Amino acid sequence: MVGVDIGNSTTEACLAELAPDGSLTYLGADLTRTTGVKGTPDNTVGALRVVRDVLARAGRRPDEVHTVLLNEATPVISGLAMETITETIITESTMIGHNPTTPGGEGLAVGTTVSIADLTAQPPGEPVVCVVPAGWDFDDVARVVNAAVAGGVAVVAAVLAGDDAVLVTNRLDRAVPVVDEVRAVEKVPLGMLAAVEVAAPGRTIRTLSDSYGLASVFDLDPDQTRAVSPVARALTGNRSAVVVRTPSGDVTDRRIPVGELVLRGAGRELRIDVDAGAEAIMATVARLQPLDDVHGEPGTHVGGMLAQVRDTMSDVLRGADGAAQPASEIAIRDVLAVDTFVPAEVRGGLAGEIALENAVALAAMVRTSRSRMQLVADQVSAELGARAEIGGVEGEMAVGGALTTPGVDRPVAVLDLGGGSTDAALMTVDGVCTAVHVAGAGELVTKLIDSELALGDREVAEGVKWHPLAKVESFFHLRHEDGTVQFFDQPFPPHVFARVVVLTPDGPVPVETRHGLDHVRRVRRAAKSRVFVVNAVRALRQVAPGGDLRALDFVVLLGGSALDFEIPELIADELAPYGIVCGTGNVLGTQGPRNAVASGLVRAHAAASSPCPAG
Amino acid sequence: MPGRVTDARQRPAVVVHRSPGAPAAVLREVCAGAEEEGVPTELVDVPDQPEDAVGLAHAAALDSPLEVGVGVDAAGAVAVHHGKLPAHRPATTTGPDAGPRDWRRTGRTAARIVKGLPLG
Repeated sequence: MVGVDIGNSTTEACLAELAPDGSLTYLGADLTRTTGVKGTPDNTVGALRVVRDVLARAGRRPDEVHTVLLNEATPVISGLAMETITETIITESTMIGHNPTTPGGEGLAVGTTVSIADLTAQPPGEPVVCVVPAGWDFDDVARVVNAAVAGGVAVVAAVLAGDDAVLVTNRLDRAVPVVDEVRAVEKVPLGMLAAVEVAAPGRTIRTLSDSYGLASVFDLDPDQTRAVSPVARALTGNRSAVVVRTPSGDVTDRRIPVGELVLRGAGRELRIDVDAGAEAIMATVARLQPLDDVHGEPGTHVGGMLAQVRDTMSDVLRGADGAAQPASEIAIRDVLAVDTFVPAEVRGGLAGEIALENAVALAAMVRTSRSRMQLVADQVSAELGARAEIGGVEGEMAVGGALTTPGVDRPVAVLDLGGGSTDAALMTVDGVCTAVHVAGAGELVTKLIDSELALGDREVAEGVKWHPLAKVESFFHLRHEDGTVQFFDQPFPPHVFARVVVLTPDGPVPVETRHGLDHVRRVRRAAKSRVFVVNAVRALRQVAPGGDLRALDFVVLLGGSALDFEIPELIADELAPYGIVCGTGNVLGTQGPRNAVASGLVRAHAAASSPCPAG
Repeated sequence: MPGRVTDARQRPAVVVHRSPGAPAAVLREVCAGAEEEGVPTELVDVPDQPEDAVGLAHAAALDSPLEVGVGVDAAGAVAVHHGKLPAHRPATTTGPDAGPRDWRRTGRTAARIVKGLPLG
């Protein structure tokens, strides 16, 4: 017989022979990519492929198969949404705060903004800030400024469109701070008082990033100082900045009304403002277990987010007739909220300034009764000429497979770390089984990494999630994230030189970011922790007797994300204080965290198993 | 100062080997690219030889105390090389039909190899 587990991303098979005396011999295991959405007839192709593969590997013929056992698909699917809840807007052109790699000169200077074309016509003695549009050559800029200074014009600073600051500064008779790479330099208002600050290499600006520094420079009263304090905050951490004082200029740190989540469960209804943050939302979710449904306040961001999730799901949950399940009938049975931040280009910025906007990510999970696994079973049966039956509830089967891990005994809890949901199941000493599913898993981790690092590329984000990082330090060596250095006898290609890379099996792949390795690593680990550690505790509390983690003995990690190089240790660290033995499953002693459900199906078929109500 | 020709081995610098007839506009931008990054360059005239820009750049790299060299041939093609790279695998090149922005980029690339910064 063959046990087949159709998962969200992989379809796994376990081949075994049942002797007349009831003893079981495992003959092989295999896996392939799942075809189509889990629980739909499209799965048949992948299921047949994996059955044929496992037979070929074991040297058996398809006509020897007596029974194919299929999993009862976990009746959950999940969706994701993310929305920023703040937005930084520069109204009027008041501020340029960015980090060109090479500003010129250093110090703080205040003067009136004047275009370089009008520089020589300025009255002598009045301090001016020279504004240079794109297309000016560095030699010409230096010559014009030097001539103006020689004629008595007090040029105290310059703002350039091109990447020329050091070149210009090197050619000036009198050095002044120069800020370059200001793409929209034509929008800098002329004839206005402006301050330019460039810090020494390795330092950050001190005056323009300080509210009272700005007040001193521009002679502001307390009310005006209050109005410019967002400017100071936005400039913090930069090596160079320009602030132009315009009559109506303003930087606003706008808080977008996000709206309320309306949660129903345990016979009650509670509302929670999404602004309150992930912790408050999750505390509310915990008070309403089991959750019946979640809605967002209509007309707000959160209303839009949940509507988006529902729309996606209604599309996935097409019935046998091809009709989508109406979105209004979809009940969201769990949500995971995660606080995150999104680097976004500041609206109205002149130099592509980036501000970190607060955001909230929501993973939602719905139950579906429309699994069409029976159709798959019928098609498999017809193709192979063997019996095909639906073998049992996934959670229970997973526990059965996990029990084949060396060193594991009942009572045991399994955590299946999947792509869309995190599932937990507990089997007590007397074989009673309970299972839960919570929203949020590998997909959400990828999304958090993608947005927090502003990668804009899901594949790269997946790479950051799956592989350790390194920094290429020369053409021939790189430093791993743990600090060890490795030499290579072939030179690295120039496009990875000095970059933060992920070490894929195909070689180093650059991560397009200005952040250092430490930052990327921190974002990666935080994303995994905020999803999988939080969900591990949440799911285990729901299956643990009395909700007490101390009542658990063995926890076995299963599923694709249990193959991750750090998620198992992050979870084990969190569970260690509760006296729990936690580790990655090794199904049948050979399969690692894979194949638990498939081999569990075979085991359950061979021996009578206890009922397992899905909770 | 940029453009000054002295003994290449005297001080740490990116060495630029130029063929006779290498266009002045190309050399100016190459040196400017390195200067903007704060890395000095040394111009060295090499006698007429059949070397292309890549060959010039490799020789220049071996001549540079920083192991980074640039070659500019008579047609205006530019190559950037590191002394430890195989001779036929330069860090970057531009063809004879490139423009001032590309030439500036090659100088920046040479400087960034010295500084250990991404070349992009």
